[in-house]
Amino acid sequence: MTTALATSGFDWVCQLVRRESAIVLAPGKEYLVEARLMPLARQMGLPGVAELVDRVRARPDPVAIRGIVEALTTNETSWFRDGDPFTTLTSTVVPALQAARRPTEDIKIWSAACSSGQEAYTIGMLLADALPSAASRVKITATDISRAMVERTRAGRFSQLEVNRGLPAPMLIRHFTRVGTEWEIAPALRGMVTASELNLAGPLPRLGPFDVVYLRNVLIYFDPPTKRDILRKVRQVMRPDGWLFLGAAETTLGVDDTWERVPCGRGSAYRPTKGN
Amino acid sequence: MRALVIDDSRAMRRIVASILEGFGYETRPAGHGREALDVLEEGWVPDLACIDWNMPVMDGLQFVSVVRANPAWRSVTLMMVTTESEHGQIVKALAAGAHEYVIKPFTADAIGDKLALLGLMPTGVPA
Amino acid sequence: MSAPITHLLDGETVTAVAGEVWSALVGEEEYLLPGFGPVGPAVAGPSSWVTVTGPWNGVVVLTCEQSGTADLTRSVLQMRADEEPTEEDVDDVLRELANILGGNVKSLLPGPSTLGLPETGTPPVRADDEDTCRVSASWRGHDLAITIQGASEAPATTTEVNK
Repeated sequence: MTTALATSGFDWVCQLVRRESAIVLAPGKEYLVEARLMPLARQMGLPGVAELVDRVRARPDPVAIRGIVEALTTNETSWFRDGDPFTTLTSTVVPALQAARRPTEDIKIWSAACSSGQEAYTIGMLLADALPSAASRVKITATDISRAMVERTRAGRFSQLEVNRGLPAPMLIRHFTRVGTEWEIAPALRGMVTASELNLAGPLPRLGPFDVVYLRNVLIYFDPPTKRDILRKVRQVMRPDGWLFLGAAETTLGVDDTWERVPCGRGSAYRPTKGN
Repeated sequence: MRALVIDDSRAMRRIVASILEGFGYETRPAGHGREALDVLEEGWVPDLACIDWNMPVMDGLQFVSVVRANPAWRSVTLMMVTTESEHGQIVKALAAGAHEYVIKPFTADAIGDKLALLGLMPTGVPA
Repeated sequence: MSAPITHLLDGETVTAVAGEVWSALVGEEEYLLPGFGPVGPAVAGPSSWVTVTGPWNGVVVLTCEQSGTADLTRSVLQMRADEEPTEEDVDDVLRELANILGGNVKSLLPGPSTLGLPETGTPPVRADDEDTCRVSASWRGHDLAITIQGASEAPATTTEVNK
Protein backbone atom coordinates (compact mmCIF):
# COMPACT_ATOMS: atom_id res chain seq x y z
CA MET A 1 0.00 0.00 0.00
CA THR A 2 1.17 3.53 -0.67
CA THR A 3 1.31 6.20 1.98
CA ALA A 4 -1.24 9.02 1.89
CA LEU A 5 -0.17 12.51 0.93
CA ALA A 6 0.58 14.50 4.10
CA THR A 7 -0.74 18.03 4.60
CA SER A 8 2.74 19.51 4.12
CA GLY A 9 3.05 17.66 0.81
CA PHE A 10 -0.36 18.91 -0.34
CA ASP A 11 0.52 22.49 0.66
CA TRP A 12 3.77 22.25 -1.25
CA VAL A 13 1.91 21.11 -4.38
CA CYS A 14 -0.60 23.98 -4.00
CA GLN A 15 2.18 26.56 -3.71
CA LEU A 16 3.99 25.11 -6.70
CA VAL A 17 0.88 25.18 -8.89
CA ARG A 18 0.02 28.71 -7.77
CA ARG A 19 3.53 29.96 -8.49
CA GLU A 20 3.76 28.34 -11.92
CA SER A 21 0.23 28.89 -13.22
CA ALA A 22 -1.57 31.37 -10.93
CA ILE A 23 -4.22 28.68 -10.42
CA VAL A 24 -5.41 28.15 -6.85
CA LEU A 25 -6.25 24.64 -5.64
CA ALA A 26 -8.91 24.75 -2.95
CA PRO A 27 -8.24 23.06 0.41
CA GLY A 28 -9.83 19.62 0.56
CA LYS A 29 -8.67 18.75 -2.96
CA GLU A 30 -6.14 16.22 -1.65
CA TYR A 31 -8.07 13.46 -3.37
CA LEU A 32 -7.89 15.27 -6.70
CA VAL A 33 -4.13 15.76 -6.30
CA GLU A 34 -3.72 12.04 -5.54
CA ALA A 35 -5.81 11.01 -8.54
CA ARG A 36 -4.25 13.39 -11.05
CA LEU A 37 -0.65 12.76 -9.98
CA MET A 38 -0.84 8.98 -9.63
CA PRO A 39 -0.13 8.31 -13.34
CA LEU A 40 2.97 10.55 -13.13
CA ALA A 41 4.19 8.75 -10.00
CA ARG A 42 3.76 5.37 -11.71
CA GLN A 43 5.51 6.66 -14.82
CA MET A 44 8.49 7.62 -12.63
CA GLY A 45 8.52 4.16 -11.06
CA LEU A 46 7.31 5.38 -7.66
CA PRO A 47 4.66 3.64 -5.58
CA GLY A 48 2.55 6.69 -4.85
CA VAL A 49 2.01 10.44 -4.87
CA ALA A 50 3.57 11.01 -1.43
CA GLU A 51 6.79 9.44 -2.73
CA LEU A 52 6.60 11.58 -5.88
CA VAL A 53 6.26 14.77 -3.84
CA ASP A 54 9.12 13.74 -1.51
CA ARG A 55 11.34 12.98 -4.49
CA VAL A 56 10.68 16.29 -6.25
CA ARG A 57 10.99 18.32 -3.03
CA ALA A 58 14.34 16.72 -2.28
CA ARG A 59 15.62 16.97 -5.85
CA PRO A 60 13.71 19.57 -7.89
CA ASP A 61 13.57 18.34 -11.47
CA PRO A 62 12.10 20.70 -14.11
CA VAL A 63 10.50 17.86 -16.08
CA ALA A 64 8.73 16.44 -13.03
CA ILE A 65 7.67 19.92 -11.88
CA ARG A 66 6.22 20.66 -15.27
CA GLY A 67 4.45 17.30 -15.17
CA ILE A 68 2.87 18.08 -11.80
CA VAL A 69 1.70 21.55 -12.84
CA GLU A 70 0.25 20.31 -16.11
CA ALA A 71 -1.54 17.37 -14.50
CA LEU A 72 -3.28 19.74 -12.11
CA THR A 73 -4.10 22.63 -14.43
CA THR A 74 -5.41 21.03 -17.61
CA ASN A 75 -9.11 21.28 -18.12
CA GLU A 76 -11.45 19.39 -20.34
CA THR A 77 -12.40 21.58 -23.27
CA SER A 78 -15.29 21.03 -25.59
CA TRP A 79 -15.42 21.40 -29.35
CA PHE A 80 -18.05 23.97 -30.26
CA ARG A 81 -17.70 25.90 -27.02
CA ASP A 82 -20.16 28.85 -27.39
CA GLY A 83 -21.07 28.00 -31.03
CA ASP A 84 -21.34 31.57 -32.44
CA PRO A 85 -17.66 32.37 -32.93
CA PHE A 86 -17.53 29.27 -35.12
CA THR A 87 -20.75 29.52 -37.11
CA THR A 88 -20.03 33.15 -38.05
CA LEU A 89 -16.62 32.08 -39.30
CA THR A 90 -18.13 30.23 -42.26
CA SER A 91 -21.22 32.44 -42.70
CA THR A 92 -19.57 35.86 -42.50
CA VAL A 93 -15.89 36.12 -41.70
CA VAL A 94 -14.17 33.82 -44.18
CA PRO A 95 -16.46 34.78 -47.12
CA ALA A 96 -15.61 38.46 -46.43
CA LEU A 97 -11.91 37.64 -46.32
CA GLN A 98 -12.12 35.60 -49.53
CA ALA A 99 -13.60 38.64 -51.26
CA ALA A 100 -11.03 41.03 -49.81
CA ARG A 101 -7.88 39.00 -50.45
CA ARG A 102 -6.14 38.01 -53.67
CA PRO A 103 -6.98 34.38 -54.62
CA THR A 104 -3.37 33.33 -54.04
CA GLU A 105 -3.16 34.84 -50.54
CA ASP A 106 -3.38 32.59 -47.50
CA ILE A 107 -6.01 33.20 -44.87
CA LYS A 108 -4.26 32.96 -41.49
CA ILE A 109 -6.11 32.04 -38.34
CA TRP A 110 -4.61 31.93 -34.84
CA SER A 111 -5.99 29.78 -32.05
CA ALA A 112 -4.23 31.34 -29.05
CA ALA A 113 -4.21 29.16 -25.90
CA CYS A 114 -5.25 26.16 -27.96
CA SER A 115 -5.22 23.60 -25.12
CA SER A 116 -5.33 20.12 -26.70
CA GLY A 117 -6.37 21.48 -30.10
CA GLN A 118 -10.17 21.24 -30.13
CA GLU A 119 -10.62 24.88 -31.17
CA ALA A 120 -8.07 24.70 -34.00
CA TYR A 121 -9.56 21.48 -35.37
CA THR A 122 -13.14 22.76 -34.98
CA ILE A 123 -12.16 25.68 -37.24
CA GLY A 124 -10.52 23.29 -39.70
CA MET A 125 -13.48 20.89 -39.85
CA LEU A 126 -16.02 23.69 -40.31
CA LEU A 127 -14.10 25.17 -43.21
CA ALA A 128 -13.46 21.78 -44.80
CA ASP A 129 -17.20 21.01 -44.66
CA ALA A 130 -18.77 24.38 -45.46
CA LEU A 131 -16.16 26.18 -47.56
CA PRO A 132 -13.87 23.57 -49.11
CA SER A 133 -12.59 26.14 -51.62
CA ALA A 134 -11.39 28.34 -48.77
CA ALA A 135 -10.03 25.48 -46.65
CA SER A 136 -7.09 24.91 -49.00
CA ARG A 137 -5.81 28.46 -48.44
CA VAL A 138 -6.41 28.58 -44.68
CA LYS A 139 -3.42 28.17 -42.37
CA ILE A 140 -4.20 27.67 -38.70
CA THR A 141 -1.60 28.48 -36.05
CA ALA A 142 -2.30 26.93 -32.64
CA THR A 143 -0.27 27.99 -29.61
CA ASP A 144 -0.30 27.15 -25.93
CA ILE A 145 1.96 27.80 -22.96
CA SER A 146 2.04 24.09 -22.15
CA ARG A 147 4.42 21.84 -24.04
CA ALA A 148 2.21 18.83 -23.32
CA MET A 149 -0.81 20.60 -24.83
CA VAL A 150 1.17 21.58 -27.93
CA GLU A 151 2.24 17.97 -28.37
CA ARG A 152 -1.34 16.80 -27.95
CA THR A 153 -2.52 19.32 -30.55
CA ARG A 154 0.13 18.09 -32.97
CA ALA A 155 -0.87 14.46 -32.41
CA GLY A 156 -4.54 15.26 -33.04
CA ARG A 157 -5.66 12.37 -30.86
CA PHE A 158 -8.54 12.59 -28.44
CA SER A 159 -10.00 10.29 -25.82
CA GLN A 160 -13.55 9.01 -25.96
CA LEU A 161 -14.54 11.41 -23.17
CA GLU A 162 -13.10 14.29 -25.20
CA VAL A 163 -14.90 13.46 -28.46
CA ASN A 164 -18.11 13.20 -26.41
CA ARG A 165 -17.81 16.89 -25.51
CA GLY A 166 -19.77 18.85 -28.11
CA LEU A 167 -18.33 17.36 -31.28
CA PRO A 168 -21.23 16.76 -33.69
CA ALA A 169 -21.49 13.03 -34.51
CA PRO A 170 -21.51 13.61 -38.30
CA MET A 171 -18.17 15.46 -37.94
CA LEU A 172 -16.76 12.70 -35.76
CA ILE A 173 -17.43 10.02 -38.38
CA ARG A 174 -16.32 12.25 -41.26
CA HIS A 175 -13.04 13.48 -39.85
CA PHE A 176 -11.82 10.93 -37.29
CA THR A 177 -10.74 7.30 -37.16
CA ARG A 178 -10.50 5.05 -34.13
CA VAL A 179 -6.95 4.24 -33.01
CA GLY A 180 -7.10 1.96 -29.99
CA THR A 181 -9.00 3.75 -27.24
CA GLU A 182 -8.58 7.11 -28.95
CA TRP A 183 -9.89 9.00 -31.99
CA GLU A 184 -7.46 10.54 -34.44
CA ILE A 185 -8.16 13.52 -36.69
CA ALA A 186 -7.72 13.08 -40.47
CA PRO A 187 -4.25 13.89 -41.85
CA ALA A 188 -5.66 16.63 -44.13
CA LEU A 189 -6.89 18.53 -41.07
CA ARG A 190 -3.73 17.94 -39.12
CA GLY A 191 -1.94 19.44 -42.10
CA MET A 192 -3.94 22.69 -41.76
CA VAL A 193 -2.74 23.21 -38.17
CA THR A 194 0.75 24.20 -37.01
CA ALA A 195 1.19 24.03 -33.24
CA SER A 196 3.88 25.68 -31.14
CA GLU A 197 4.66 26.78 -27.59
CA LEU A 198 3.96 30.39 -26.74
CA ASN A 199 3.54 32.44 -23.58
CA LEU A 200 1.04 35.23 -24.25
CA ALA A 201 2.31 37.21 -21.28
CA GLY A 202 5.85 37.32 -22.71
CA PRO A 203 7.20 39.02 -25.85
CA LEU A 204 5.61 37.54 -28.98
CA PRO A 205 7.81 35.98 -31.66
CA ARG A 206 7.31 36.89 -35.34
CA LEU A 207 3.79 35.73 -36.13
CA GLY A 208 1.05 36.28 -38.67
CA PRO A 209 -0.15 38.64 -39.84
CA PHE A 210 -3.44 36.99 -38.90
CA ASP A 211 -6.83 37.53 -40.47
CA VAL A 212 -8.69 35.96 -37.55
CA VAL A 213 -7.63 35.45 -33.93
CA TYR A 214 -9.40 33.28 -31.38
CA LEU A 215 -8.30 34.44 -27.92
CA ARG A 216 -11.06 32.93 -25.86
CA ASN A 217 -11.26 32.41 -22.11
CA VAL A 218 -7.64 33.47 -21.68
CA LEU A 219 -7.79 37.14 -20.63
CA ILE A 220 -9.89 36.23 -17.59
CA TYR A 221 -6.75 34.82 -15.97
CA PHE A 222 -4.77 38.08 -16.15
CA ASP A 223 -4.83 41.45 -14.35
CA PRO A 224 -5.96 44.58 -16.32
CA PRO A 225 -2.44 45.85 -17.29
CA THR A 226 -1.46 42.39 -18.59
CA LYS A 227 -4.80 42.12 -20.45
CA ARG A 228 -4.13 45.46 -22.18
CA ASP A 229 -0.58 44.40 -23.00
CA ILE A 230 -1.75 41.13 -24.55
CA LEU A 231 -4.48 42.85 -26.61
CA ARG A 232 -1.92 45.39 -27.94
CA LYS A 233 0.48 42.62 -28.91
CA VAL A 234 -2.30 40.68 -30.60
CA ARG A 235 -3.28 43.74 -32.63
CA GLN A 236 0.30 44.09 -33.84
CA VAL A 237 0.20 40.62 -35.40
CA MET A 238 -3.25 41.15 -36.99
CA ARG A 239 -4.24 42.50 -40.40
CA PRO A 240 -6.00 45.91 -40.13
CA ASP A 241 -9.27 44.36 -41.33
CA GLY A 242 -8.91 41.25 -39.14
CA TRP A 243 -11.36 39.75 -36.67
CA LEU A 244 -10.78 38.94 -33.01
CA PHE A 245 -13.00 36.57 -31.05
CA LEU A 246 -12.96 36.61 -27.24
CA GLY A 247 -14.73 34.36 -24.74
CA ALA A 248 -18.41 35.04 -24.03
CA ALA A 249 -17.55 36.67 -20.68
CA GLU A 250 -14.67 38.78 -22.04
CA THR A 251 -14.44 42.17 -23.72
CA THR A 252 -11.89 44.78 -24.83
CA LEU A 253 -14.16 47.53 -23.52
CA GLY A 254 -12.56 49.38 -20.63
CA VAL A 255 -9.33 47.45 -21.17
CA ASP A 256 -7.98 48.59 -24.51
CA ASP A 257 -9.89 51.21 -26.57
CA THR A 258 -8.18 50.48 -29.88
CA TRP A 259 -10.84 47.90 -30.78
CA GLU A 260 -14.31 48.25 -32.19
CA ARG A 261 -16.98 45.81 -31.10
CA VAL A 262 -19.11 44.54 -34.00
CA PRO A 263 -22.14 42.26 -33.75
CA CYS A 264 -21.43 38.82 -35.13
CA GLY A 265 -24.18 36.18 -34.99
CA ARG A 266 -25.70 36.38 -31.53
CA GLY A 267 -22.35 37.45 -30.08
CA SER A 268 -19.62 39.95 -30.88
CA ALA A 269 -16.31 40.15 -32.66
CA TYR A 270 -13.67 42.85 -32.23
CA ARG A 271 -11.89 44.66 -35.07
CA PRO A 272 -8.95 47.04 -34.87
CA THR A 273 -10.03 50.68 -35.14
CA LYS A 274 -8.46 52.73 -37.91
CA GLY A 275 -5.43 54.85 -37.15
CA ASN A 276 -4.13 52.76 -34.26
CA MET B 1 -39.18 20.57 -23.10
CA ARG B 2 -39.86 16.87 -22.94
CA ALA B 3 -37.53 13.90 -23.27
CA LEU B 4 -38.10 10.17 -23.53
CA VAL B 5 -35.29 8.18 -21.91
CA ILE B 6 -35.02 4.68 -23.39
CA ASP B 7 -32.64 2.23 -21.74
CA ASP B 8 -33.06 -1.26 -20.31
CA SER B 9 -30.90 -0.28 -17.33
CA ARG B 10 -32.85 1.44 -14.58
CA ALA B 11 -29.61 2.94 -13.33
CA MET B 12 -28.89 4.48 -16.72
CA ARG B 13 -32.47 5.78 -17.11
CA ARG B 14 -32.13 7.41 -13.71
CA ILE B 15 -28.76 9.00 -14.56
CA VAL B 16 -29.88 10.35 -17.95
CA ALA B 17 -33.23 11.55 -16.59
CA SER B 18 -31.63 13.35 -13.67
CA ILE B 19 -29.18 15.13 -16.01
CA LEU B 20 -32.03 16.21 -18.31
CA GLU B 21 -34.25 17.26 -15.42
CA GLY B 22 -31.34 19.36 -14.19
CA PHE B 23 -31.55 21.23 -17.51
CA GLY B 24 -35.28 21.74 -17.02
CA TYR B 25 -36.67 18.80 -18.98
CA GLU B 26 -39.77 16.78 -18.17
CA THR B 27 -38.84 13.13 -18.75
CA ARG B 28 -40.51 9.75 -19.18
CA PRO B 29 -38.72 6.40 -19.03
CA ALA B 30 -39.01 3.37 -21.32
CA GLY B 31 -37.23 0.04 -20.87
CA HIS B 32 -36.95 -0.78 -24.58
CA GLY B 33 -37.95 0.43 -28.04
CA ARG B 34 -41.41 -1.14 -28.02
CA GLU B 35 -42.28 0.47 -24.70
CA ALA B 36 -41.06 3.81 -26.08
CA LEU B 37 -43.29 3.44 -29.16
CA ASP B 38 -46.24 2.87 -26.82
CA VAL B 39 -45.51 6.24 -25.22
CA LEU B 40 -45.37 7.96 -28.63
CA GLU B 41 -48.55 6.23 -29.84
CA GLU B 42 -50.34 7.37 -26.74
CA GLY B 43 -49.64 10.93 -27.95
CA TRP B 44 -46.75 11.93 -25.68
CA VAL B 45 -44.40 13.18 -28.41
CA PRO B 46 -41.18 14.55 -26.87
CA ASP B 47 -38.64 17.05 -28.21
CA LEU B 48 -35.83 14.59 -27.58
CA ALA B 49 -35.37 10.83 -27.24
CA CYS B 50 -32.20 9.45 -25.62
CA ILE B 51 -31.83 5.91 -26.92
CA ASP B 52 -29.69 3.00 -25.79
CA TRP B 53 -28.67 0.56 -28.54
CA ASN B 54 -28.70 -2.94 -27.00
CA MET B 55 -32.06 -3.63 -25.37
CA PRO B 56 -34.42 -6.58 -25.21
CA VAL B 57 -37.68 -6.74 -27.28
CA MET B 58 -36.81 -3.83 -29.60
CA ASP B 59 -33.32 -2.38 -29.82
CA GLY B 60 -32.43 1.27 -30.28
CA LEU B 61 -31.61 1.04 -33.96
CA GLN B 62 -34.99 -0.53 -34.79
CA PHE B 63 -36.71 2.16 -32.72
CA VAL B 64 -34.90 4.91 -34.66
CA SER B 65 -35.97 3.39 -37.99
CA VAL B 66 -39.62 3.11 -36.93
CA VAL B 67 -39.72 6.69 -35.63
CA ARG B 68 -38.08 8.11 -38.74
CA ALA B 69 -40.56 6.27 -40.97
CA ASN B 70 -43.51 8.05 -39.35
CA PRO B 71 -43.93 11.71 -40.48
CA ALA B 72 -46.02 12.46 -37.36
CA TRP B 73 -42.88 12.02 -35.26
CA ARG B 74 -40.56 14.10 -37.43
CA SER B 75 -40.13 16.71 -34.70
CA VAL B 76 -38.46 14.27 -32.30
CA THR B 77 -34.67 14.63 -32.10
CA LEU B 78 -33.09 11.20 -31.77
CA MET B 79 -29.90 10.92 -29.75
CA MET B 80 -28.23 7.55 -29.28
CA VAL B 81 -26.69 7.10 -25.81
CA THR B 82 -24.83 3.83 -25.99
CA THR B 83 -21.67 1.94 -25.23
CA GLU B 84 -21.39 0.95 -28.91
CA SER B 85 -18.39 3.02 -29.91
CA GLU B 86 -16.93 1.72 -33.15
CA HIS B 87 -16.74 4.15 -36.05
CA GLY B 88 -18.91 1.80 -38.14
CA GLN B 89 -21.63 1.64 -35.50
CA ILE B 90 -21.94 5.43 -35.35
CA VAL B 91 -22.16 5.53 -39.16
CA LYS B 92 -24.91 2.89 -39.01
CA ALA B 93 -26.94 4.77 -36.39
CA LEU B 94 -26.75 8.08 -38.28
CA ALA B 95 -27.69 6.30 -41.52
CA ALA B 96 -30.75 4.85 -39.76
CA GLY B 97 -31.79 8.39 -38.86
CA ALA B 98 -30.27 9.22 -35.48
CA HIS B 99 -29.36 12.93 -35.19
CA GLU B 100 -26.71 12.71 -32.50
CA TYR B 101 -24.64 10.16 -30.68
CA VAL B 102 -23.23 10.07 -27.16
CA ILE B 103 -20.83 7.29 -26.21
CA LYS B 104 -21.07 5.72 -22.74
CA PRO B 105 -19.42 6.52 -20.42
CA PHE B 106 -20.34 10.21 -20.56
CA THR B 107 -20.49 13.13 -18.16
CA ALA B 108 -23.42 15.49 -17.55
CA ASP B 109 -21.43 18.16 -19.42
CA ALA B 110 -21.30 15.91 -22.48
CA ILE B 111 -25.11 15.75 -22.58
CA GLY B 112 -25.29 19.52 -22.02
CA ASP B 113 -22.86 20.18 -24.90
CA LYS B 114 -24.94 18.03 -27.27
CA LEU B 115 -28.20 19.75 -26.25
CA ALA B 116 -26.59 23.14 -26.92
CA LEU B 117 -25.42 21.88 -30.31
CA LEU B 118 -28.92 20.65 -31.17
CA GLY B 119 -30.56 23.87 -30.00
CA LEU B 120 -32.38 21.84 -27.36
CA MET B 121 -31.06 23.55 -24.26
CA PRO B 122 -34.07 25.07 -22.49
CA THR B 123 -33.67 28.87 -22.22
CA GLY B 124 -32.46 30.31 -18.95
CA VAL B 125 -29.99 27.51 -18.38
CA PRO B 126 -26.35 28.60 -18.50
CA ALA B 127 -24.52 26.58 -21.17
CA MET C 1 -11.01 -17.81 -34.93
CA SER C 2 -9.00 -14.88 -33.75
CA ALA C 3 -5.88 -14.69 -31.61
CA PRO C 4 -6.26 -15.16 -27.84
CA ILE C 5 -7.17 -12.05 -25.86
CA THR C 6 -3.64 -11.63 -24.49
CA HIS C 7 -2.50 -10.93 -28.07
CA LEU C 8 -5.29 -8.41 -28.65
CA LEU C 9 -5.36 -6.33 -25.47
CA ASP C 10 -3.07 -5.47 -22.59
CA GLY C 11 -3.93 -4.87 -18.96
CA GLU C 12 -2.88 -1.24 -19.14
CA THR C 13 -5.45 -0.49 -21.84
CA VAL C 14 -8.19 -2.22 -19.86
CA THR C 15 -7.20 -0.23 -16.77
CA ALA C 16 -7.34 3.00 -18.78
CA VAL C 17 -10.81 2.13 -20.12
CA ALA C 18 -12.03 1.24 -16.62
CA GLY C 19 -10.59 4.51 -15.31
CA GLU C 20 -12.65 6.50 -17.83
CA VAL C 21 -15.78 4.52 -16.97
CA TRP C 22 -15.21 5.20 -13.29
CA SER C 23 -14.58 8.91 -13.61
CA ALA C 24 -17.65 9.42 -15.81
CA LEU C 25 -20.10 7.13 -14.04
CA VAL C 26 -18.95 6.73 -10.46
CA GLY C 27 -17.67 10.26 -9.94
CA GLU C 28 -15.28 12.80 -11.44
CA GLU C 29 -12.76 12.43 -8.66
CA GLU C 30 -13.08 8.68 -8.27
CA TYR C 31 -9.92 6.84 -8.99
CA LEU C 32 -9.38 3.17 -9.66
CA LEU C 33 -6.01 2.14 -8.35
CA PRO C 34 -4.59 -0.35 -10.84
CA GLY C 35 -3.53 -3.82 -9.77
CA PHE C 36 -1.70 -6.43 -11.76
CA GLY C 37 -1.81 -8.01 -15.23
CA PRO C 38 -2.16 -10.04 -17.39
CA VAL C 39 -3.94 -12.50 -15.06
CA GLY C 40 -4.28 -10.90 -11.67
CA PRO C 41 -5.61 -12.64 -8.59
CA ALA C 42 -9.28 -13.55 -8.52
CA VAL C 43 -11.63 -11.37 -6.48
CA ALA C 44 -14.48 -12.98 -4.55
CA GLY C 45 -17.82 -11.23 -4.81
CA PRO C 46 -20.83 -10.52 -7.04
CA SER C 47 -20.14 -10.54 -10.77
CA SER C 48 -21.79 -9.11 -13.84
CA TRP C 49 -20.84 -9.79 -17.43
CA VAL C 50 -21.58 -9.37 -21.12
CA THR C 51 -20.73 -11.68 -23.98
CA VAL C 52 -18.81 -10.52 -27.02
CA THR C 53 -19.36 -12.45 -30.25
CA GLY C 54 -17.24 -11.91 -33.32
CA PRO C 55 -13.78 -12.87 -34.49
CA TRP C 56 -12.98 -13.18 -30.76
CA ASN C 57 -15.61 -14.87 -28.59
CA GLY C 58 -15.79 -14.48 -24.86
CA VAL C 59 -17.11 -12.54 -21.90
CA VAL C 60 -16.16 -9.37 -20.09
CA VAL C 61 -16.73 -9.89 -16.37
CA LEU C 62 -16.77 -7.31 -13.60
CA THR C 63 -16.38 -8.69 -10.08
CA CYS C 64 -16.71 -6.44 -7.07
CA GLU C 65 -15.94 -7.37 -3.49
CA GLN C 66 -19.25 -7.70 -1.60
CA SER C 67 -18.27 -4.93 0.81
CA GLY C 68 -18.05 -2.43 -2.06
CA THR C 69 -21.25 -3.09 -4.00
CA ALA C 70 -23.59 -0.92 -1.91
CA ASP C 71 -21.11 1.96 -1.94
CA LEU C 72 -20.64 1.62 -5.69
CA THR C 73 -24.41 1.58 -6.29
CA ARG C 74 -24.91 4.68 -4.16
CA SER C 75 -22.20 6.53 -6.10
CA VAL C 76 -23.54 5.61 -9.54
CA LEU C 77 -27.17 6.34 -8.61
CA GLN C 78 -26.16 9.46 -6.67
CA MET C 79 -27.95 8.23 -3.56
CA ARG C 80 -27.43 9.68 -0.08
CA ALA C 81 -24.78 8.01 2.10
CA ASP C 82 -27.46 6.69 4.49
CA GLU C 83 -29.67 5.25 1.74
CA GLU C 84 -29.58 1.47 1.43
CA PRO C 85 -29.78 0.38 -2.20
CA THR C 86 -32.05 -2.57 -3.01
CA GLU C 87 -30.67 -5.80 -4.41
CA GLU C 88 -32.25 -4.82 -7.72
CA ASP C 89 -30.38 -1.48 -7.69
CA VAL C 90 -27.08 -3.25 -7.05
CA ASP C 91 -27.66 -5.81 -9.82
CA ASP C 92 -28.70 -3.12 -12.22
CA VAL C 93 -25.64 -0.97 -11.54
CA LEU C 94 -23.26 -3.93 -11.83
CA ARG C 95 -24.92 -4.96 -15.10
CA GLU C 96 -24.65 -1.49 -16.56
CA LEU C 97 -20.99 -1.17 -15.56
CA ALA C 98 -20.28 -4.54 -17.23
CA ASN C 99 -22.22 -3.38 -20.30
CA ILE C 100 -20.19 -0.18 -20.65
CA LEU C 101 -16.88 -1.91 -19.94
CA GLY C 102 -17.82 -4.64 -22.42
CA GLY C 103 -18.81 -2.17 -25.12
CA ASN C 104 -15.57 -0.28 -24.78
CA VAL C 105 -13.50 -3.47 -24.77
CA LYS C 106 -15.40 -4.70 -27.82
CA SER C 107 -14.44 -1.57 -29.74
CA LEU C 108 -10.75 -2.46 -29.26
CA LEU C 109 -11.09 -5.98 -30.65
CA PRO C 110 -10.93 -7.00 -34.28
CA GLY C 111 -14.50 -6.62 -35.48
CA PRO C 112 -17.26 -6.49 -36.29
CA SER C 113 -18.44 -7.94 -33.01
CA THR C 114 -21.77 -8.05 -31.21
CA LEU C 115 -22.43 -7.33 -27.55
CA GLY C 116 -24.92 -9.44 -25.59
CA LEU C 117 -27.24 -8.14 -22.89
CA PRO C 118 -25.59 -7.90 -19.45
CA GLU C 119 -26.25 -10.51 -16.76
CA THR C 120 -25.45 -11.01 -13.10
CA GLY C 121 -24.87 -14.18 -11.08
CA THR C 122 -22.21 -16.82 -11.46
CA PRO C 123 -20.10 -15.91 -14.46
CA PRO C 124 -19.13 -18.46 -17.09
CA VAL C 125 -15.95 -20.42 -16.36
CA ARG C 126 -12.90 -18.67 -17.67
CA ALA C 127 -10.67 -20.04 -20.39
CA ASP C 128 -6.98 -20.82 -19.91
CA ASP C 129 -4.53 -18.09 -18.92
CA GLU C 130 -3.52 -17.41 -22.49
CA ASP C 131 -7.07 -16.38 -23.38
CA THR C 132 -7.65 -14.40 -20.17
CA CYS C 133 -6.77 -10.82 -19.39
CA ARG C 134 -7.58 -9.82 -15.84
CA VAL C 135 -6.87 -6.52 -14.20
CA SER C 136 -7.47 -6.06 -10.54
CA ALA C 137 -8.12 -2.67 -9.11
CA SER C 138 -9.11 -1.06 -5.91
CA TRP C 139 -11.78 1.58 -5.41
CA ARG C 140 -12.18 3.23 -2.01
CA GLY C 141 -10.38 0.23 -0.55
CA HIS C 142 -12.69 -2.37 -2.14
CA ASP C 143 -11.16 -4.92 -4.50
CA LEU C 144 -12.46 -5.20 -8.03
CA ALA C 145 -11.50 -7.29 -11.01
CA ILE C 146 -12.24 -6.99 -14.70
CA THR C 147 -11.73 -10.31 -16.45
CA ILE C 148 -11.82 -10.58 -20.21
CA GLN C 149 -11.97 -14.28 -20.86
CA GLY C 150 -12.31 -16.42 -23.94
CA ALA C 151 -15.34 -18.64 -24.38
CA SER C 152 -14.82 -21.88 -22.50
CA GLU C 153 -16.14 -25.32 -23.34
CA ALA C 154 -16.45 -26.19 -19.64
CA PRO C 155 -19.93 -26.38 -18.08
CA ALA C 156 -21.10 -23.02 -16.84
CA THR C 157 -22.08 -24.39 -13.41
CA THR C 158 -18.53 -24.87 -12.11
CA THR C 159 -17.25 -21.95 -10.08
CA GLU C 160 -13.66 -20.93 -9.95
CA VAL C 161 -11.82 -21.90 -6.78
CA ASN C 162 -10.22 -18.88 -5.17
CA LYS C 163 -6.64 -19.36 -4.24
